[in-house]
Amino acid sequence: MVSTIQNTDVKQKDADRAVVVAVTSRAVFESGADGDDVYGMGVAFPLLQALQRVNERLLEENPAESLLFDVVLITTDSQQQQQSSRIISSTRHYGLEVSRFCFSSEEDFVESLQKNNVQLFLSTDRNEVPQASQKGVLSALLDRQEAPSEQLRVMFCGDAVNRPDAGPMPASRQAAQSFSAQLGEMRQRFGMSDSPLSIVLMTSHGGRESCGGALRTLRSRGVNVDEAYCLAGAPLSPILSVVRPHFLLSDGFSGLED
Amino acid sequence: MNNVLYPYRQKSCNFELDWIKIELFFTLVCEEQLWIFYTLLLQPKPENAITIGVSARVLFNMEKEQQIYEQQGMEEYIKYQVEHETQPFSPGPAFSFVKALEAVNTRLRELYPESEELFDVVLMTNNHAYVGLRLINTINYHKLFIERFCMTGGNSPIGYLKAYHTNLYLSADPVKVREALEEGIAAATMFTPEKITEVSETQLRVAFDGDAVLFSDESERIYKAHGLDKFFEHEKTHENKLQMDPVILLYSFCCLQGPLKGFLEALGKLQKKFYGKGQRMDCPIRTYLVTARSAASSGTRALKTLRSWGLEIDEALFLAGAPKGPMLEKIRPHIFFDDQMFHVEGAAEMGTVACHVPYGIAQRITKKGIHDKETSSAPQES
Repeated sequence: MVSTIQNTDVKQKDADRAVVVAVTSRAVFESGADGDDVYGMGVAFPLLQALQRVNERLLEENPAESLLFDVVLITTDSQQQQQSSRIISSTRHYGLEVSRFCFSSEEDFVESLQKNNVQLFLSTDRNEVPQASQKGVLSALLDRQEAPSEQLRVMFCGDAVNRPDAGPMPASRQAAQSFSAQLGEMRQRFGMSDSPLSIVLMTSHGGRESCGGALRTLRSRGVNVDEAYCLAGAPLSPILSVVRPHFLLSDGFSGLED
Repeated sequence: MNNVLYPYRQKSCNFELDWIKIELFFTLVCEEQLWIFYTLLLQPKPENAITIGVSARVLFNMEKEQQIYEQQGMEEYIKYQVEHETQPFSPGPAFSFVKALEAVNTRLRELYPESEELFDVVLMTNNHAYVGLRLINTINYHKLFIERFCMTGGNSPIGYLKAYHTNLYLSADPVKVREALEEGIAAATMFTPEKITEVSETQLRVAFDGDAVLFSDESERIYKAHGLDKFFEHEKTHENKLQMDPVILLYSFCCLQGPLKGFLEALGKLQKKFYGKGQRMDCPIRTYLVTARSAASSGTRALKTLRSWGLEIDEALFLAGAPKGPMLEKIRPHIFFDDQMFHVEGAAEMGTVACHVPYGIAQRITKKGIHDKETSSAPQES
């Protein structure tokens, strides 16, 4: 069963322009003792704060801005569905800018994502991510951050950006293209330095041509990249621990195999 | 003052992880103060490459763009770069050094086709990726073999230098160089001579100053304080290596090495690969010690210390205080490292690409003066 509840504490976003980001409640909140009314802060907490900060800065630049992040909290299993009131009260307790709560189960959470026009789905669950991706929803795996930055840092994995334009585009690739274009537009609202959002490109296997190609492709979508790392086969994790992206996006499956 | 060292020996143990070999040496106890120290020597496994991080401003000539940044700000700088994206930069001071590294790699690949013990040049720049395409186009134009880069968009490159196990970092920005040295990464600030002397395209030549570059600047003091001279006097040579009390060796190893000792060591390892194939005469790497010391005692001490570390230097030039510029002009190194700006400037005046290693006592006095200059230099550029 799928249900959606609006958060009346938060102003609803423009359905046509906002970038809908769904994050699983399991990622945002850590379940504490059963007696507690309010959950603890989970892995995705810093990410939500970073998204919020981007919105605040966008509205500072233009109080009538409609290109904002629209954060939706989604439960993806029946057990969580039982906890609906705690999820809502915890959200309010922390003053999180969540506009809607979607309650669903394992079988129908992807349907819920589609119904809510979700453009990016973020989860800590390694099974949920490919499930959503296969149905055309751009998805990424969330991991615990050592020292999460205040700035929202989004990483595109470039080896996936360059694909020959052969054959029909898989649905999630289309989602990736439109999401990246929106992100690029958001980024342009800010100057070179002191941006609340940083767009990072990494190519892990190819050489400089591969990275150069990815830069050009992204630019053609209106995405100007802030940072670029061309690894050319060097190990990923040392670089990732310095870059500290909140999440990584690659076509199809997200989550890099180290 | 009784400062005699009493060696206390422990078994040495080694263990290997994926990419490093750790050797736990001996401990040392001094009678005066009971200080005990252990040394953990982290050695990259020989299979790994020698990573050299170069910033964009030293690899290429970006003077004009740097001026635009300083005078008109970041936005104009980026705009200019993007507008001139298809226009390659001309070579900077590190260019011929990088070309020479590639020449060595070509020779190494001929002799050891399977080996990864090569120079690995990484472009490590503070620039935004907006400038990335112009840099990539330039690398293509000059046919350089640089496949790895980090464009940090204004963030410090130091973390990335560590992540890549960088053996040497060259930058035009003295602040970043000092940060790198503080993190234990060999680094030097590279200056552009007015006119660069032509250098060899087939033989890499690297020249080092001794004090505060290869040796710690306190080596003189330590020698005298602990009477190490007598240990060096009674040397026995055995297979070209000094036979010394291992504890003294350890002590000298820890306290006497300078920031670029590791880089000389890396060069030596590659040189031996050529010697191993009978190419000593034709070796495409040549190293030079160019020191203000005189040949007598302090000069020979320098050579003995190097040998005790298992290091060789091809040519040692003891100038006994004479200026280094003319000597370097004869040698024509691709790069020269010195800790004193006086010598760096002198070398640059005569056409040598000279780099300043801001390390040691000499810097503490001049640090304040440099700091004032730095506030006006471009923090984003490197």
